[in-house]
Amino acid sequence: MRIFKNTVIVILCLLLIPVTAISTAAVKQRFADGPNFVFSGGPLEAGELYAGAEPDWSFVNDIPTIEMQLMEPPTSRIIWTVEHNNKLYVWSGYMGTRVGQMWKQWPLQAEEDGRALIRINGIRYERQLKRIQSGPELAGITQAITAKYPSRTTSEAVESGDVWLFEATPRD
Amino acid sequence: MKKFYVGVAIALVLTILAVLFVPGVDDFVEQTFQRYLGRAAR
Repeated sequence: MRIFKNTVIVILCLLLIPVTAISTAAVKQRFADGPNFVFSGGPLEAGELYAGAEPDWSFVNDIPTIEMQLMEPPTSRIIWTVEHNNKLYVWSGYMGTRVGQMWKQWPLQAEEDGRALIRINGIRYERQLKRIQSGPELAGITQAITAKYPSRTTSEAVESGDVWLFEATPRD
Repeated sequence: MKKFYVGVAIALVLTILAVLFVPGVDDFVEQTFQRYLGRAAR
């Protein structure tokens, strides 16, 4: 019994090391200007704030990822994006899985308060995220997604809630 | 066991210091975590 107890203690103690490394890296990233890979970063502070007419968003189709920060809470993450009919879209997959729902908090937060700041090529754009769950444009958007990324996002996945899709509209 | 606990405590402190101050360690930790997380979410 004592050997079993000691074995469990040793395993738990050894597990503490990677858990500590991950927690430390996550906390460190929260104090950074923007995200890195998977952990949320702090507010997007560097970069010119875009002012002017709605840009031609087609340039994002040549950019693999963008940085996106919500206003509440002011945390940022790296995210895929796509342009369709000169509208900008972001989305979150895995929303139908338990791990996905624990991992991806921003879609839930964005649904409550959609104010967002997006940084692309060092320029920050103020946007408003609006969730899209259905509509005729879904087919074109998901086609644009699968053409750009190795993704299996379909209209059905968006409609079923497995993928949460947002249009990043201009902020009023 | 006491020596083991001391060793674990030292390892934890070294881990925190390495992630905070050694260049590239935080990236390695994050990328490794991302790999496992992505696999678990599928």
